[in-house]
Amino acid sequence: MTEQLGGTVDTARARGVAHPADTPVGTFRWVYLWHWPIRAMHWVAALSIMLLIFTGFVIGRPYYLPAGQVTGEFFIGWMRLIHFIAAGALVATVIVRIYWLFAGNRYERFNALLPVRGRDWVNMLKQVKYYLMIHPERAPHYLGHNPLQQLSYTLIYVVAAVMIITGFAMYGQANPGGLIRGATLWVPQLVGGIQNVRLIHHVLTWVFLIFIPIHIYLSVRADILERGGTMSSIITGGRFVRSDEEFVDG
Amino acid sequence: MLMPTAVPWAEDEDLGSFLERRKVSRREFLGFCAEITAILGLASTMAPQVAEALQAIRRPSVIWLQLQECTGCVESVVRTAEPTIGDLVLDVVSLDYQHTLMAAAGHQAEKALQDSMAANRGKYLLVVTGSVPLNANGVYTTIGGRTAKVILEEAASGAAAVIAVGACAHWGSVQAARPNPTGAVGVGDIVKDKPVVNIAGCPPIGDVVTATIVHYLTFGRVPELDYDGRPMFAYGARIHDQCPRRANFDAGQFVEEFDDAAARKGWCLYHVGCKGPATFSPCPIFMWNTRTSWPIGAGHPCIGCTERGFWDTMSPFYTRMPNVAGVGVERTADVIGAALAVGATAGVLAHAAATGVHRVRERRAGRELPVVSGPNAPPPPTTPPTNPEGR
Repeated sequence: MTEQLGGTVDTARARGVAHPADTPVGTFRWVYLWHWPIRAMHWVAALSIMLLIFTGFVIGRPYYLPAGQVTGEFFIGWMRLIHFIAAGALVATVIVRIYWLFAGNRYERFNALLPVRGRDWVNMLKQVKYYLMIHPERAPHYLGHNPLQQLSYTLIYVVAAVMIITGFAMYGQANPGGLIRGATLWVPQLVGGIQNVRLIHHVLTWVFLIFIPIHIYLSVRADILERGGTMSSIITGGRFVRSDEEFVDG
Repeated sequence: MLMPTAVPWAEDEDLGSFLERRKVSRREFLGFCAEITAILGLASTMAPQVAEALQAIRRPSVIWLQLQECTGCVESVVRTAEPTIGDLVLDVVSLDYQHTLMAAAGHQAEKALQDSMAANRGKYLLVVTGSVPLNANGVYTTIGGRTAKVILEEAASGAAAVIAVGACAHWGSVQAARPNPTGAVGVGDIVKDKPVVNIAGCPPIGDVVTATIVHYLTFGRVPELDYDGRPMFAYGARIHDQCPRRANFDAGQFVEEFDDAAARKGWCLYHVGCKGPATFSPCPIFMWNTRTSWPIGAGHPCIGCTERGFWDTMSPFYTRMPNVAGVGVERTADVIGAALAVGATAGVLAHAAATGVHRVRERRAGRELPVVSGPNAPPPPTTPPTNPEGR
């Protein structure tokens, strides 16, 4: 309550959170956050989701040839092939991610999935205020994901899981006696028919289309404003942070 | 079929000698057996076995109940341009009770039913078309003063096997569509103690009924069923995967309206609501009216009538996707989704602009930005806060 924008060194110290303004310039440490499986998983998922969105919209409302013979034309066939291959790649990333929930470091494990402690929720509120430019200086500093990120990324995991399940429920129909069909029969029964499965699969595509611009924007914004190496961390795996900056999850 | 016959099947006569008396040649009979073997999805080497088993059967008793229904399924089964041997088989097995087609009526018909059930208890085949209404104690369908539920339970208790023909007997069909005012349910919801074969479709293809009965007569058991009780030989593949217009789908050639050039060329009906990708039925192979045509062949999209709950789950029949309930017909999923995505992007841009404005304002006020600064950032302010009171 007694602090204000910038320069209030004592209050920042009193809160136990170092403020960048009172630190000497130029002393940095490199923190390794994301192991290569996580980074590979991120970029494979990013590419496959892009492909899935594009081919998915083509499959959802396809058109290709205004005229001509069928012979030799297989456009929608190729679109479906790409869609299914990309879906397989996405499933692979899910497997890697689930494995890394056990094998990863503290920023990659189960406890990084959801804000569970009371402090997390307080910090999430602060993070929301930060984005609304209300007391941005009070934003909590996290090395890994902040609670808002944890919540939104886990939500995207859930949406991706629903997409995969509904997708395979439709895919399995091509082989009624098969394993995929047998394993997904409960899906249409749960949501009231295969057409509703189709609708859910179609509508949830838009969640990704809403998520992607916000995700990219906030990442780039954090990189520019906070200069914490957010963008490079998903490529190199690590961040440069001021050696005296204190982190909630540090 | 079911024409009055001058040569009735005698009680202890086997089918082979009966057909011989009906002047059916051995060649014709073997041809029929080969056809049925193919429909059942058995190896062609099984055809002689089917023929052998079929010609040895004694006159079986079949009781055909018609409950809450439109008689369309009976129409479908009897609708043939010429009586085939399959019809003859159905003819001879259907004689005991079929209240639309039998000569007897009223008390005589009901007596025929009771007599047949008593005489063949535990041995007769029960074929049911029509659903069973349960609301108001089932008064919505009564025959001879008794409700459909009572009739079905009585008939099923003595049946060797139950074949539910058509969407009504399968799950209730149109009368079971929301809000299902009569409380209609399928046969499988009433008969729990013995296997119920669901010949799905509104109406189903007659050949599937024939083939299922022949399978039962030949092997003494019902054919392999899928998760919904439908015979795998008929409902084991998706229309989309057997469709003669699939090449147009894969190539990207679609009918947009029912009177466009693409429709005349016979392109894929995906855009006008075809539910072939969600429907399991042998229509593209068996077709209708002695292999004359079928809906997609005639240029109409599949409405998915072999799937449980299709009136609700497959509608609207002429659009690909269901509408989002409660927001009006025009506001389909894509409109809402696109609005949200555009809104998110606009929000991102607005937020970026607001961030810029905020930054500039802070800088003009001479305040250090409340973010982690880089190595080239200006030195931290040395002046005391301009507002010591905070806020």
